[in-house]
Amino acid sequence: MFRPTSLRQSREFFLSTRFRCYSTSSPKPTLQLVAQLRKLTEVSITKAREALTASNNDVNGALAWLEADMVASGAQRAAKLEGRVAREGLVSISVLSAGNAAKAGLGKGSVRAAMVELNCETDFVGRGELFSQLAADIAHTAAFISEPVDSDNLIIPCPLDVLNDAPLISQNGSQAHSSSTVSTSIRDLMAKVGEKVSLRRAITLVQNPLSDQSGNLGLRLASYVHGAVNSAPQGKIGAIALLALKSPNLSTHFASEPFTRELERLERAIARQIVGLDTLSIRSNGSEDGTALYDQPFMMYGGDSANETVRTVLNQWALDRGLVKDQEEGGVEVIDFAKWTVGSSDVE
Amino acid sequence: MFHLASQSISIAKPTSPLSNALSSFARGRRWTRNSNPFAYVRGYADTTIKFSRVKPHMNIGTIGHVDHGKTTLTAAITKVLSSHGAAEFTDYAQIDKAPEEKARGITINSAHVEYETDQRHYGHIDCPGHADYIKNMITGAAQMDGAIIVVSATDGQMPQTREHLLLARQVGIKKLVVFINKVDMIEDPEMLELVDMEMRDLLSTYNFDGENTPIIMGSALAALEERNDEVGARKVERLIQACDEWLDVPARDLEKPFLMPIEDVFSISGRGTVTTGRVERGVANKGDEVEIVGLGSTFKTTLTGIEMFHKELDRGEAGDNMGCLLRGVKREQVRRGQVIIAPGSMRAVKQFQAQIYVLTKDEGGRYTPFMSNYRPQLFLRTADITASLTFPNGTDDASERMVMPGDNVEMVCTLVHDVAAEAGSRFTLREGGKTIGTGIVTKVLQYA
Repeated sequence: MFRPTSLRQSREFFLSTRFRCYSTSSPKPTLQLVAQLRKLTEVSITKAREALTASNNDVNGALAWLEADMVASGAQRAAKLEGRVAREGLVSISVLSAGNAAKAGLGKGSVRAAMVELNCETDFVGRGELFSQLAADIAHTAAFISEPVDSDNLIIPCPLDVLNDAPLISQNGSQAHSSSTVSTSIRDLMAKVGEKVSLRRAITLVQNPLSDQSGNLGLRLASYVHGAVNSAPQGKIGAIALLALKSPNLSTHFASEPFTRELERLERAIARQIVGLDTLSIRSNGSEDGTALYDQPFMMYGGDSANETVRTVLNQWALDRGLVKDQEEGGVEVIDFAKWTVGSSDVE
Repeated sequence: MFHLASQSISIAKPTSPLSNALSSFARGRRWTRNSNPFAYVRGYADTTIKFSRVKPHMNIGTIGHVDHGKTTLTAAITKVLSSHGAAEFTDYAQIDKAPEEKARGITINSAHVEYETDQRHYGHIDCPGHADYIKNMITGAAQMDGAIIVVSATDGQMPQTREHLLLARQVGIKKLVVFINKVDMIEDPEMLELVDMEMRDLLSTYNFDGENTPIIMGSALAALEERNDEVGARKVERLIQACDEWLDVPARDLEKPFLMPIEDVFSISGRGTVTTGRVERGVANKGDEVEIVGLGSTFKTTLTGIEMFHKELDRGEAGDNMGCLLRGVKREQVRRGQVIIAPGSMRAVKQFQAQIYVLTKDEGGRYTPFMSNYRPQLFLRTADITASLTFPNGTDDASERMVMPGDNVEMVCTLVHDVAAEAGSRFTLREGGKTIGTGIVTKVLQYA
């Protein structure tokens, strides 16, 4: 990042004088042009110089040359870095629609979210702005392009070849090169940071609103990422979980702002619980090693709930909020979740 | 407080500091910083070392992009210095694998090499990642006093160079030296000017002295392969010279104000109250005025006697295990956990902000996360105090935030009893008899 300083101004002055003498005598790229091109693209000095030489010191020409060169040499570069180990990076979550809400706007109760893991070699790169931006954009893209599938599994893997070929849809809509795909964006980042960058896995959770005639069913998405460097939902460990609510008067509840706020608090606690503890399943499959969410003491909800199991707290929560009456079925359930740790070997 | 890495000064392979100490001891060459950090014991006639002077020690790290030649530079430095007899040549293959080591029970990946110049003795550290440098800082395993930023001339600074400089700031490095590597691989020497300019700009952006920071341009590989001396060996020498001249040696423990944590208190009939402990820093003379600080009481007294190994001394200094006879002090007035200091050199604190590393379960730490208001035991020197951990003011959703094993976090520690501390004081956190975290005070928030 360049900020104007007195130092820089004096140097630029120095450089601009130099610029004049060379531009007339030789097509050799000047320092100023190389610096300018680097500020625009963050490519290496050698590449920037090569681009300017090839395009006769025309910055626009050089930009075009670089783009073409990325296509040509990108694969080569990627192949060179292929054998290296990339176990750092980020788990990034994008939630486009979190399900039923007080203000049933776009989507009206549908759920649309994605979680991706993007790897690099060192945490220096992983903490950088370029890397986190790309990880967020890829998660956003995955959530955007996926279609609801008729399947028993709610959280499904997003095929990497499909995602790689998808146009990158930036989350803040500021992508300069609208033509770039996920894979070309990864390739471009590799050129800038000089490390292997790879998209390791992606999952999506896309559900239409439950078509229950009575409107008694609702879906909510909970997510949490631990170890975020900035405020974005990306970090070292991430989880998404799908909650289902069932109550005869669900729509009334969702219309109430306090109810939604409390529900969101519960969701955050559930997602933290999954991330924070060694959670492998929702219900116990016989073993009592504390990896089943419902059997764990609900440490993340605060208050006295740390002494109660998640199951008990959820039941009580539904009862207290009037979702269900005594002995009635329904309330709130966790129906699926996924949890990832950066660099872990648990890729299915 | 001394830690293994800085305790043994030896020229050795990048194995753990402990085995460094042992292997160099076995070779009959040994310096020790145990009793006095800057005294040394010379072994048998040692022809490899020319200078028998006492040299100040400092740790420097190399930080840079993976392909820019950090390891090659490290190897080149030992190569060039070994020709002066001031280092043992450590080749690339020996340095390359930052081995795992344990410092205060915490696993840190870092490679160590040691060498000396006419003026100084250097411990040289190279870690693979940001997190490892932070752990080094928190544990004090190898506190970096300065750093060499390595940048390749072919690439110039890269996006992550910003992260490198931020890290240097975060671990408290004030001054850097820049080495522009691979200058023999670029076609147009003018591009070096651009690398230089960009680096100085970036240094200034991150509050380093961009104008005056030495930037050395050379080729570490040329130096290592003993070719092209002009860009090779000469430039590596120039780099080391720049380190000597530009980087500031940290204050020696002996030069700091006196501090002895109280470990034990005895009442000796006919003499008075004697406190024992190991002097952490500084020098005290018999008859000096001292201050007792911490655990609710702070008062001045006079050091009427110093004793070590049942012998009277006039002077005690950093590293000494000694007993202090205190004038007019009753046994009940002093306790383990207080410190004896040069008056006014430190104050008792009730609350401070700290950078904390939470041990993973593999490191023997907690299995589960903790939330705000967690109350472990805090051990600072000889003091053992219950502390409550909260998030700093302005933290988003502090009430719901959790800290997991393996995290580096900035937290506020509120102590049940006050204790002598200052920015830079290190402590450990324990719960139910096991260490769950370690930290370093970054800012005092409230004095007692």
